[in-house]
Amino acid sequence: MQAEQHQYSFEVVKWFVYMSVVYLVIGTGIGVWIAAELAWPDLNFDNPYISFGRLRPLHTNAVIFAFGGSTLMATAFYIVQRTSHVRLWSDKLAWFTFWGWNLVILGAVITLPLGITQSKEYAELEWPLDILISAVWLAYTFNFIMTLSVRRVSHIYVANWFFLAMMIMVTYLHVVNSLAIPVSFWKSYSIFAGVQDAMIQWWWGHNAVGFFLTAGFLGIMYYFVPKQANRPVYSYRLSVIHFWGLTFGYVWLGAHHLQYTALPDWTGSLGAAISLAMIIPSWGGAINGLFTLSGAWDKLRTDYTLRFLVVSLAFYAMSTFEGPVMSSKTVNALSHYTDWTIGHVHAGALGWVGMISIGAIYHMVERLWDTKIYSVNLVNLHFWMATIGTAMYIIAMWVSGIMQGLMWRAYDDYGNLTYTFVESVAQMHPYYALRTVGGFLFFLGAVVMLFNITITIRKVATNPANKMSHVAGI
Amino acid sequence: MTKLEAYFHTDWAAMTATDWFGMSVTVIIFLAMIWLFYWVFNPKNKQKLEAHKTMPLEEDSSDPEKWHGG
Repeated sequence: MQAEQHQYSFEVVKWFVYMSVVYLVIGTGIGVWIAAELAWPDLNFDNPYISFGRLRPLHTNAVIFAFGGSTLMATAFYIVQRTSHVRLWSDKLAWFTFWGWNLVILGAVITLPLGITQSKEYAELEWPLDILISAVWLAYTFNFIMTLSVRRVSHIYVANWFFLAMMIMVTYLHVVNSLAIPVSFWKSYSIFAGVQDAMIQWWWGHNAVGFFLTAGFLGIMYYFVPKQANRPVYSYRLSVIHFWGLTFGYVWLGAHHLQYTALPDWTGSLGAAISLAMIIPSWGGAINGLFTLSGAWDKLRTDYTLRFLVVSLAFYAMSTFEGPVMSSKTVNALSHYTDWTIGHVHAGALGWVGMISIGAIYHMVERLWDTKIYSVNLVNLHFWMATIGTAMYIIAMWVSGIMQGLMWRAYDDYGNLTYTFVESVAQMHPYYALRTVGGFLFFLGAVVMLFNITITIRKVATNPANKMSHVAGI
Repeated sequence: MTKLEAYFHTDWAAMTATDWFGMSVTVIIFLAMIWLFYWVFNPKNKQKLEAHKTMPLEEDSSDPEKWHGG
């Protein structure tokens, strides 16, 4: 009886892990489809339910909240138990989180293609779903905090600090950004108006990146990189600086999305200045992760899971340099509203968030199901598909975006625009096609991952002899 | 007034309560960050902080059979 009580609560973690892989396939699949729609508009089929405008928010919600959210919930529940030496405070609350979160995703799948939206980027879902998100998120946060409160070790490991920052800030950001007056069950209007609405939108928007897609995934990095490399993190002191620098810095950055708009000029400058300062903690964290492999770089030859984790850190470093540069007014004048932004976002989303999640999931699958992965070769194949796909995607968007920016601001001797907008669109076609191919490669990699993990789990389920009592590196 | 003085000129009388609150929080956080850098990189605290770096690797060492799986 006593031994049972000491078991970790991993059943809900397993479900979150598996669903995150399912959502990775669905989310990237929709992404590939809408990328193809941009390259070949006939694919819209004059059908409003599958038009780009309606599927694009479904893609972002699927990859950010369905895949990213499920990954964050799986890893937070996994890490907090293992680093606190205690099982989850409440299994019921954990299951409420799982089913509630999946209900939110189901709501998105139904409402967004129907055109039901608040029209706020990364916060499109209407008010009833916003309330459900709040309830589920609070349950997730409360359970995490209560698990920490009953921990059997005195120190709270840094990964948990990052998760806590994400949970607290996302609660605050989601509630304020979603404040709206409902006029019917599926229609509401923001309580903010004009430039204040834009400022609140991007205060949320950039912090969705900063806390949901960065702080939480840094929590993943600080646990899984040392674990997979079987080496302690390079510098715990650097992780403390990384945490506080990131936590106090990120909330200032939203205004850099609104350069050259009705927003007061100084707010954009402040957003850009803090963005540039954020290179310091971000690179401190990336270096901390990469240097963790000091003396163990040879493991990259054979450990494909570690490859995902290390490449994700390279993309993290690249994105957190590129973002501040793009936020500066001079570069922003060229890059804003162009595909360069899309390239930047996907360097972070595919390269950083995607790769670190994939590495963490492969790591957890072997330990949760107490077995070895079905095919290491398929993990290797997935790694190269994901890496090459990401590289193709972002290079296509860089070239396309810079070309767009240059064409849009080219003037002739008489002060007239050199190119019409339609001419710039026509020039984009080859790059949109290339982006579709890159995205398709990444999507195929996700399909390979789902196949590999499904077979792994089925083998254990059908033949418990495939279980391993001690997987190397636990 | 030089260009630099003009750039940094502040109309203190026009500051609202919200402005003062925001400015105070900003200055406090700025000072707290300086203190944090000093505290973290003070050699006296090195051992105490770095002692936590092995936590993920030691998590199951006390009783691996009991803590593994679920």
